[in-house]
Amino acid sequence: MIQLQNITKYYPVGLGRNFILKDIDLTINEGEFVSIMGPSGSGKSTLLHIMGLLEEPSEGQYLFEGERVDKMNEKKRTQLHRGSIGFVFQAYHLIDELTVYENIETPLLYKNVSASERKSRVADVLDRFNIVAKKDLFPNQLSGGQQQLVGIARAIVAEPRVILADEPTGNLHSDQAKSIMELFKELNEKDKITIVQVTHSDVNATYGNRIIQLRDGHIRS
Amino acid sequence: MMWQNFFKTSVRSLFKRKLYTFINIGGLAIGIACFILLFLFLQNEWTYDRFHTNGKQLFRISSAYGEIDQPLTHTALTPSALAPALKTVPEVQTITRIYPKASLVANGEKAINESRFIYAEAPFFTMFSFPLLEGDPATALSGPNMVVLSASMAEKYFGKSSPTGKMLKIDGKDFMVTGVAKNPPSNTHLKFDFVGSYSSMNITDRWGSANYYTYIQLADKATSNALHDRLTSMIKGMMGSNTKYRFDLIPEPIADIHLYSQSENSTERGGNLQYDYMLAIIAVLLLAVACINFMNLATARSADRAREIGVRKVMGAVKRELFTQFITESAIITFLALVIGTVLSLVLLPWFNNLTQSTIRMHLEWPLIVALIAVFVVTTFLAGAYPAFFLANFKPVQVLKGKTPVGKGAALRKTLVVFQFAAAVFFIICTLVVGQQLYYIQHKKLGQDRSQVVVLNGSRFDNNSLAAFKARLLQQSEISQVSASYDSPVNIGGGYGIGQIQGKPADYSMDVTAIPVEKDYLQTMGIDILAGGKLTDADIQDVTREKQEDRRYHFYLNETAVKQLGWTPTEAVGRTMTMNGRIGSVKGVMKDFHFASMKQKIQPLIVFPEYEWFGEILVKVNGRDPQRALARIEDAWKSYQPGRPFDAHFLDDDFNAMYESEFRAGRLLKVFSGLVILVSCLGLVGLAAFTAEQRTRELGIRKVLGASSSNLVALLSKDYIKLVTISLIVAAPLGAYVMIKWLSGFAYHINLGAGVFVVAGLLAMAIALLTVSLQSVKAALMNPVKSLKSE
Repeated sequence: MIQLQNITKYYPVGLGRNFILKDIDLTINEGEFVSIMGPSGSGKSTLLHIMGLLEEPSEGQYLFEGERVDKMNEKKRTQLHRGSIGFVFQAYHLIDELTVYENIETPLLYKNVSASERKSRVADVLDRFNIVAKKDLFPNQLSGGQQQLVGIARAIVAEPRVILADEPTGNLHSDQAKSIMELFKELNEKDKITIVQVTHSDVNATYGNRIIQLRDGHIRS
Repeated sequence: MMWQNFFKTSVRSLFKRKLYTFINIGGLAIGIACFILLFLFLQNEWTYDRFHTNGKQLFRISSAYGEIDQPLTHTALTPSALAPALKTVPEVQTITRIYPKASLVANGEKAINESRFIYAEAPFFTMFSFPLLEGDPATALSGPNMVVLSASMAEKYFGKSSPTGKMLKIDGKDFMVTGVAKNPPSNTHLKFDFVGSYSSMNITDRWGSANYYTYIQLADKATSNALHDRLTSMIKGMMGSNTKYRFDLIPEPIADIHLYSQSENSTERGGNLQYDYMLAIIAVLLLAVACINFMNLATARSADRAREIGVRKVMGAVKRELFTQFITESAIITFLALVIGTVLSLVLLPWFNNLTQSTIRMHLEWPLIVALIAVFVVTTFLAGAYPAFFLANFKPVQVLKGKTPVGKGAALRKTLVVFQFAAAVFFIICTLVVGQQLYYIQHKKLGQDRSQVVVLNGSRFDNNSLAAFKARLLQQSEISQVSASYDSPVNIGGGYGIGQIQGKPADYSMDVTAIPVEKDYLQTMGIDILAGGKLTDADIQDVTREKQEDRRYHFYLNETAVKQLGWTPTEAVGRTMTMNGRIGSVKGVMKDFHFASMKQKIQPLIVFPEYEWFGEILVKVNGRDPQRALARIEDAWKSYQPGRPFDAHFLDDDFNAMYESEFRAGRLLKVFSGLVILVSCLGLVGLAAFTAEQRTRELGIRKVLGASSSNLVALLSKDYIKLVTISLIVAAPLGAYVMIKWLSGFAYHINLGAGVFVVAGLLAMAIALLTVSLQSVKAALMNPVKSLKSE
C-alpha cells in the first residue's frame, strides 16, 4: 500500500544540509497497524507527513497503492486527501467554530457527498463512537479524550484506506489513551483500515502489529 | 451544504472576535454611509437639469461685455428686447423669458413674501420638463395675471382642495391659479414655488437694461454653433463700427449651467467642480481606509485561522475552496456594513443636508442601487481578496506542526498603515489651512465695517418715505446710523465707466465698478475718506434736481481708481468728470476697502449719491442689544410699510454668503477628516491589540528581566512613531501642493507656514500614540507569570 524507496529529507543549513531522514526504505501493506517510535527529533513526524503527502521528500520515491506520488498532480493528491487518507493529530485540530456534528461532516462536504448520505454517515459514526448526545457541542465544551474521539470520527467518516495518526494520545491521560488505542485496534481489525501511528509510548506501540524504530533519520531494524 | 459550512464558520468566528468584528464592520459602515451621502450629493450636482426631455435643445442665452482689451464680464442676464429679436432667427424654435421677482402673495388677509417667484412666458411648461399636476402646460401662462403653483404652495395656500380656477392676490393684483406643478426637483437651477405669466408684468422691450433671462429651444436640425454665429452677426449689425467695446451673446446648454457656466447673476449659485472632485476623492479614500483596516486585521489575525486552514487542507480542501470561504466571510462583513451604513446614511441625511445646505432626498433608484452593488462587490474583493489569498496559501504542515506564519505580510501592513495615516495627515493639513483662510477672510480689516449692520428691503420706499423712516429710526438710542444703497455693499455691480475726466485726453475712458448710495452711506459703512469732504445737504440737492441735465453728481473714487489714473488722492479731488452720462466732479477719495470677494483684487470703485432707487436700507445698530434694536426697527417698519412682511438680516450674512461654497468645503473637510482619522484609529486599535498579544511572551520575559512598564510601552509605540513619521513625509508635500493651489484662487490669502505641518504632524502623532498606548499599557501591565504560562 505504502512503499517508500530511498526517501531522504533535508533542509539546507548554511552551506551544508541538515538531514531529517536518510535513505528510508519502508513498505507498509494493506491492513497493517504500524507504530513508528523514536526519540524527539528522530524524524518520525516528518516521515508521517511525507506518507500523508503534506511534505515532499528531497530524494527518493514514494508509491501509494503502486502509484508514484511525486508524479501526481495537485488534483490527484487532493483526491487522495479527500478519499484515501485520514489524519489524526496530537492536538486534535478540530475547527473551533463548528459543532461536533459539523466537524465530522466537513470532510464529506469536500468529497461532494450528497446531503442524505452525509446525514446517515455522520449519524452512523456518532452512534458508533457513542457521541450522539454531544453532536451539538463545540470542541471547547469537550474533554481532551472526547475531542480526540471526534478527531478520529472525522478521520474515518470519509472511509479512508489509511489513517495516519501523529501521537494521537500525546495530550491524553492513560485511561483515555487506552480507549483511543482500542478504538484504533478495532478500526484496524474490523474495518480493515491501515493505520500508521507515531508514538512515544511503548504500551501504545504494542497495539500495532509492527514497530519501526527511528533514530537520527535512519530505521533501526 | 458547503456554503452553510462556510457561513457558520464565518459568523461564529466573527462573534468570537468581537473587537475585530466591531472594528471591521464599524469602519466599513462609516465608510459606506459617507459614500452613500457623498454619492447622493454628487449625483444631485452632476445631474443638474438633465431631466428635461428636450434638454439637448435647451439653451440659456447669456451675455458677455467689456472693453476690447479687458477681460469680459459674463452675466446670465439679457435685455428684454433680445427675445423679440430672436423671433426671426431660424435656429430658434421657441423662446421664453424669465424674470424672478420676490412677490407678496395673499389668500385673504395675510400676505407672505415669496422669494421663489418667477414670471415666465407661455412656453415655459412645454419647454422645460416641470410636469403639471393640474392645468394645461400649453395655456397655463398664456395671458396676464395667471399663476401656476408648486404642489407644496398649493397646499400652503389652499390646503387639500384643488386651487385651479381660484384667485390669489399677488403684489396687490388679482391672479387666477391656472395650474399646479410638481415640486421642482433639487437638481435644477430653476427652482420655483410660483410661476406667474410674464405678460402680467407689463415689461417694455428695451436693450438698455439687462435684467431678464432668455431661454430658447433650438430648431430641430440647428446647432448651437450656428446659433452663436447668427447672434454674433446680429450684434455686429447693431453695434456698427464700434471698435472699443465688445458684446457677445452665448448660448449655454441648460445641463452645463450649474457646473460650467461662468455667468454671474444666475438664478442659483453654481456648483463648484473643484469641491465636487474633492468630495468624490474623500468618498473613495474613506472607503479605502476602511478596507485597509479589514485587510490589515485579517492578515494580522491569520494565526487565529491558521489551524482551521491546515485542517481543511488536510481534509482535501483546495486553494480555490479556501479562497471562496474567506471571500464569503468578507462578503458577510461587507453586507452587514452595507446594511448598517445605509441605515446610518438615512439617519444622517438631514444633518448632511444641513451641512451642505442642500435638499437631497434618498430614493432607491437604479444609480444608487448600482453604486451600492458596486461598493459591495469592490469592497468585498478589495478587502477580502488579499487576506483570502494570503490565508489560502498557508502550508498545512507548518501550521499543524505548530509554526504559525505570523509576521508574514508585515511589510504590506505597514505600507497600508502609512497610507491611512498619510490620508489622515493630508486631511488635517487641508482642514487647518482652509480654516485659517476662512478665519482670515472673516477677520481681515476690510476697510469698511460691516458688523452690526441690519439690511432691510428698500425697494418699496420713495425718497420722502425713506427720509421719514430714517428720521424715525434715528430717534432710537439703539440706532446710530441709517443709510441706503442701490445694491448690497457686498455685491457692487460693474458696468460703469469714467468718461471725460479733467486732466486726461477727451477720448479717455476707464471701466469702474460703482454704486449709487444715500447721503450717509460712507459713515454708516465706516469707510475712511483720505481726501475731500463729507456729503452735504447741498450736494444732495445737486443730484436730486428734477431734470436729468440739471443734475450735478459728486463722486468718491477709491485709492485703486486714483492710482490707476496716476494721481495722488489730493490731486484727484475737485476734478470734473462724467460717468455714464452723469456730469459731476470728484468729491473725495476713499481708502481702499474690500467690496467684493477676496478671490478678486480690489478694483477701481466709485461711490456716488443718486436718489433713483434704493434696493437696500442699511441700519447701523449699537452692539449692546441687537435684538432690542431689531424690535425697534420692526416697529418703525410696521408704521411705514404696513402689510409688508418685515425681512431683516445682518450684512455679515450677505458677506458670508459670498463664501458659501468655501464655508461648506471647510465644514465638510472638518467632518470627513475627523472620520478618516477615526476609521484609521479603529484599525490601529486592532493592530496594536494584535501586536501586543503576539508579543505577550516577549514582554513577559523582558519584564522578568527587569523592564519597567514604561520601557515596554515605549518599545511597543516605537514602530508606530516611525510609521506616522513616514506618512507625514508623504502627506506634507501633497497637502502643501493642493493647498497652495487652493489659496491661489484668492487674491488675498494667508501664507502657508511650517506651523500647519508641525501641528498636523503632532496631532497625527498624538492621536496614533494615544490609540496605540491603550493597548500597550494593557500589555505592559500584565502579570508576566500569566503571559509566560500561556506558552
